[in-house]
Amino acid sequence: MSRLDRTRTSAHQLRPFFSSQNLLNRADGSAQFDFGGSSVLCSVVGPAEVKIRQEKLDKATIEVIARPLVGLPGVADKARERSIQETLEPLILSSLHPRTLVQIVVQTMKDDGCILSTAFNATILALLDAGIPLQSILGSVTCMIDSETNEILLDPTTEELARSKSTHVFVFDNKTSIAGSANKDQAKDQDQDQDSLEGAILYSDSTGIFTENEYFECAHAGFKAAQAVHGFIRTAVQKKLEKEYQQTQA
Amino acid sequence: MKEADPSTNEREFLLQALKDGARIDGRKFYDFRTLRLEFGSEYGAVEVQLGNTRVLAKVSCEVIRPYTDKPTEGFLTFNTELSPMASAAFEVGRQTDEEVLVSRLIEKAMKRSRALDTEGLCIVAGEKVWSIRVDIHFLDHDGNLVDAACIAAITALLHFRRPDVTVVGEDVTIHTLEQRNPVPLSVHHIPICVTFAFFDNGERMIVDPTFLEEQVKEGDMTMTLNVHKEVCALSKAGGIPMDLDQILQCTRVAIVKVTEITAQIQAALDTDAKKRQVSRK
Repeated sequence: MSRLDRTRTSAHQLRPFFSSQNLLNRADGSAQFDFGGSSVLCSVVGPAEVKIRQEKLDKATIEVIARPLVGLPGVADKARERSIQETLEPLILSSLHPRTLVQIVVQTMKDDGCILSTAFNATILALLDAGIPLQSILGSVTCMIDSETNEILLDPTTEELARSKSTHVFVFDNKTSIAGSANKDQAKDQDQDQDSLEGAILYSDSTGIFTENEYFECAHAGFKAAQAVHGFIRTAVQKKLEKEYQQTQA
Repeated sequence: MKEADPSTNEREFLLQALKDGARIDGRKFYDFRTLRLEFGSEYGAVEVQLGNTRVLAKVSCEVIRPYTDKPTEGFLTFNTELSPMASAAFEVGRQTDEEVLVSRLIEKAMKRSRALDTEGLCIVAGEKVWSIRVDIHFLDHDGNLVDAACIAAITALLHFRRPDVTVVGEDVTIHTLEQRNPVPLSVHHIPICVTFAFFDNGERMIVDPTFLEEQVKEGDMTMTLNVHKEVCALSKAGGIPMDLDQILQCTRVAIVKVTEITAQIQAALDTDAKKRQVSRK
């Protein structure tokens, strides 16, 4: 089945990933993450001084600021801020830094669909770069259901999204995904595999009309694709640390 | 978060170095930092790096109705909100003096110098004109935001292509980028800002100050010129008083810098145009 995006041959193929960490010199941590033609730059400052109004006595305050490529921040950007903040709050070990602020700024650099997923992945890389203690690592993938063919397409472009019946954004954490893949080896049963999958979803956002079955199919396809993202994040961090280690040795 | 002042040691070291004729990053007094221009895949997206200062400019356009008193004038708007990404000292929704100054300077340099032909943006007089919007995103603040933003804005405008339109009677057709080759904007001249910082009671003058130099400086001045040796804008907001001779000296330095930067922008645009031609084939 051919896709509108000519660079890809199969429905479950993701666009090429790209990332680079530690780009900005004023922020404590920063990272850029690309899904093909979509690109998001994320900076992290923290743990830093917090305004009394925002201060929490037992944990760090997580503030997310999302900025669009064109125009002033609107409702969509506020929604994105909320999504990222609420997903990250339980993930960051914020009780280690009470009465401080962790400020995350998410800037869209190029927009060709799946900005929320790209932003999630950029954010986690920036947090890792800033050395903020985390419980686990997340990986995000977007998928859509084509209105004409009813096919599930992963990581759609803007052009493909225009033909979508529904779109689904998923965030999976890497702790449960490892457990999930271990389960896969033990039990060949499809049902059990899906059971383990449910616990792995950190964030799920769906728009459009879809059936329960379609949702689970999407979640499953997204889960598999998220493994590739997790792997990529792992390699990115590994490479960065190797480079830093070499620099300290030299 | 408030910006921390530099320590006394840092300040003294910088000032002493300047007195001895050196800058702490090894540059000469009248040197710019390395300028890097990177174009995005779309038209009108440019990322500018001036040393560690990073600015992203994105041009977009839409069709709107003009003002009744200026029926043939198109619009050119700038959005220069300082994002907390550049520095934690910038807050969302609260304009600092610095932000006001930066956006005013950009407007002055670009709009008031009539760098862009706004009359050329008219489609149907009194009915439809193009509105060009330049979003300037400050990503990293290591001093001299104005110069970096100005280079980013004008390069993005030069790089931008708007969709072609045909007018038959009252009917206006806007062609997509696939249907017809998009058209470049008509840019009259290329204004470039050059910022000077003064130290030592105005005895020492440097070009393109870094963030630390900006914090320690006694005064500053921004000059906007083009390659035709025309001064488009001059802004000196406070700081120590200056002699006329010194201002003239600044223009002489600035014109050299402007020629260099303009040549670099043109070269970058040419390389990008060639790359696009190859990829189209």
